[in-house]
Amino acid sequence: MSTEAIPAEKPKRNYNALFGLTLLALLVLLWVLLSFSTSSFATANNISNLLRQGSMIAILAVGQTFVIITGGIDLSVGAVVGFATVTTAMLINSGLPVFVAILITLLIGVAIGLFHGFGIVKMGLPPFIITLATLTSLRGIGLLMTNGNSISINNDAFQEFSRGSFIGVPNLFWMVILVGVPAYIFLHHTRWGRYLFSVGSNAEAARLSGVNVQRTIYMAYTLSGLCAAFVGVLLASRIGIGNPTQAEGWELQAIASSVIGGTSLFGAIGSVHGPLLGAFILATINNGANLLNVNAFWQRVITGALIIVIVYFDGLRRRGTK
Amino acid sequence: MTSATLHQHPAPELEPGKVILELRGLEKKYPGTHALKPVNLAFKAGEIHAIVGENGAGKSTLIKLLTGVMPRTSGDVIWEGEPVALATPHEAMALGINAVHQEVVLCRHLSVAANMFLGEENVRYGLLQQRAMVRDAQKIINDLGFNLPAHVMLGDLTIGQQQLIAAARATVRGTKFLIFDEPTAYLTRKEADQLFALIRRLKAEGVTIIYISHRMEEVFELADRVSVLRDGTYVGTRNIKETDEAELVRLMINRSIEQIYHKDEFPIGRTILEARQLSGKGFENISMTVHEGEIVGLYGLIGAGRSEFVTTLYGRHAKSSGTVLWDGKEVHIRSEHDAIKLGMALAPESRRDQGLCLNLPVGLNLNLPVYKRISKGLLISGSEETKHAEQQISGLRIKTAGRHALASSLSGGNQQKIVIGKWLNHGARLFIFDEPTVGVDVGTKAEIYRLFSTLLSQGAGIILISSYLPEVYELADTLHVFRRGKLVATHGFHTASHEDILTQALAEKQEKPGGQP
Repeated sequence: MSTEAIPAEKPKRNYNALFGLTLLALLVLLWVLLSFSTSSFATANNISNLLRQGSMIAILAVGQTFVIITGGIDLSVGAVVGFATVTTAMLINSGLPVFVAILITLLIGVAIGLFHGFGIVKMGLPPFIITLATLTSLRGIGLLMTNGNSISINNDAFQEFSRGSFIGVPNLFWMVILVGVPAYIFLHHTRWGRYLFSVGSNAEAARLSGVNVQRTIYMAYTLSGLCAAFVGVLLASRIGIGNPTQAEGWELQAIASSVIGGTSLFGAIGSVHGPLLGAFILATINNGANLLNVNAFWQRVITGALIIVIVYFDGLRRRGTK
Repeated sequence: MTSATLHQHPAPELEPGKVILELRGLEKKYPGTHALKPVNLAFKAGEIHAIVGENGAGKSTLIKLLTGVMPRTSGDVIWEGEPVALATPHEAMALGINAVHQEVVLCRHLSVAANMFLGEENVRYGLLQQRAMVRDAQKIINDLGFNLPAHVMLGDLTIGQQQLIAAARATVRGTKFLIFDEPTAYLTRKEADQLFALIRRLKAEGVTIIYISHRMEEVFELADRVSVLRDGTYVGTRNIKETDEAELVRLMINRSIEQIYHKDEFPIGRTILEARQLSGKGFENISMTVHEGEIVGLYGLIGAGRSEFVTTLYGRHAKSSGTVLWDGKEVHIRSEHDAIKLGMALAPESRRDQGLCLNLPVGLNLNLPVYKRISKGLLISGSEETKHAEQQISGLRIKTAGRHALASSLSGGNQQKIVIGKWLNHGARLFIFDEPTVGVDVGTKAEIYRLFSTLLSQGAGIILISSYLPEVYELADTLHVFRRGKLVATHGFHTASHEDILTQALAEKQEKPGGQP
């Protein structure tokens, strides 16, 4: 008489990929609409510009997604970006080779991530709190280091990088690929990726199955810190200065991108391609709104409304497939 | 309807006393299990009616139906002569049906007074009358003879005191019918006495009390009548004066041993694990050994310290004293990771909380302990991952749409197969099964037992924890009885009677509930 079971669900095999496709369709739709409604959208110049605008948030969103999958949140990423522009600028101006300056900045990002892991795992602080604390204090430390001034970077080659392109694609977008591909492999094809999901789904079950939950949490925040520091380097290159107040509010854009990309704030659901698409959808909306001469204040309202709509429909569809 | 003795007491309609609540063919089916077979039972106004039965007998199902937490599958409930739907908890409360649960379901971060009036606050001009509420709550508490402050945070009280507050709370809401679900599980004897005084007082005021307990002495101390459930079947009702403990125990466990208990004889091999005078949180001074080819059963009531003992063996909690030997050598297991490396596997008690990542795919759940082994360098071998998952799904006959289906979409029995199945490819030598068949239907039970045989034939040892006596009785080569954190008796296969074991687990007659601080 064994289990007549609950009616079996349809296989969810390509569920993530499918959602990725609908997001891609949305992005393409936006592009097509904008191409027809404005003369300046479908120009090489504007597309390059759009890719540059979206790239940095996209990379932040990938790091953020690792954290959100474990059921956490990283509010510090915007502040880390700002802080990283300062360290990059100071280190380059001190005469160190550029790659050493970058490496040290990335290590600072790792250290910040480890600190977050420590606060959560060892001190038992909620992720929201520890990363909020870092957000405000990093901005403060940056301001102390710079006395509130911007530091101009005296290295033209470094600044050239963010303006340049390679086989027609902006360098900044290549950086998204540089981060995105390893991140995809990491999340979907290594056991560490599986562990991130298992911790986000049920940390106790993961622990009893032999997963090192603490190490997994350290890892997620470290990766997020690393991504943020990397974006800081890119931003320093793009604007040519180090300024601790840069990237204000980017953490929220990164979280929004991740959520638009199908990541669940309750953990255990997420991908790499989703947040990437989410970031470029947001960038397209801003870009398009500029071209259509929509009031910048309205742009914010529209972005907020769109987040609600996209996530609501995602939730509906998710429940619908059950 | 199964017991012949039933006919001596043609169910309800004894003595005077108006019937307040009557069940007519009340029934509950879950997918795959028949949790409560049709029950006909009448409760009289102002009686204390005890309900006894083993875990899984259908007691909690009955409570959930009566309190409107779950809808019934069929049957009628007649409340004061009128049929009622009992579709929502709100409806049950509006009628005057309340329950006090074993686990306190109140807000620990609110004050005692705030909890007492939760949902019925004293409000004036839109503002809470906090001082008045504390005063009123204190008066109620004092009237009931509980010496507890009303202004403190509920969470600052002991669990037992919280239980008393929960009971007090249920009395102030026009309650006519109050269900106590194992209320004394966490109480000291003094607290239990206060609770009993409260219950008698409610009875004197005409409130009908349903009292669910494992503790026979409490049933005989309090109840007017007692009903027995067994395997979801209503077995019968007795007047307390016309029955005794032996009869009730017999009614509770009387069964033909079903064919589902499948036990092959395997040679007992070398010692795998030995615990020497192990103590920790929730248990003390436990010594036992597990051999190759042996099932060691741990029987006792919920909260007897069995789960705490095995999770400590497994490195989840730190031991306070004692030693653990693995293959004859002393080992220090400081984490689950250490235990798994030695060759232990744990299928924990609670599937939902400890066993499964419910919103992740079946395949991932099955592979979680072995990802390290099926990775080549950094990358997971996709083919190994698929092979392993498919092998367990077909080998254990897990009913699922496939390895990509979410674990939450499976029935309880199939979920349990995942909890067990994830360890089968791991090469573990000691398997710990904590209540492996709770909420699992008979067919799946049999499959799980056959799996035990397979493991034993491969030279593994098994620790089997169960609150369901027939299960450990029929399967365990060695049976340890736990009571309140102590190992109180050890038996070989079928060397003691059900009655003896049950008595040992329930407590000696002279011992009082609660007791140890």
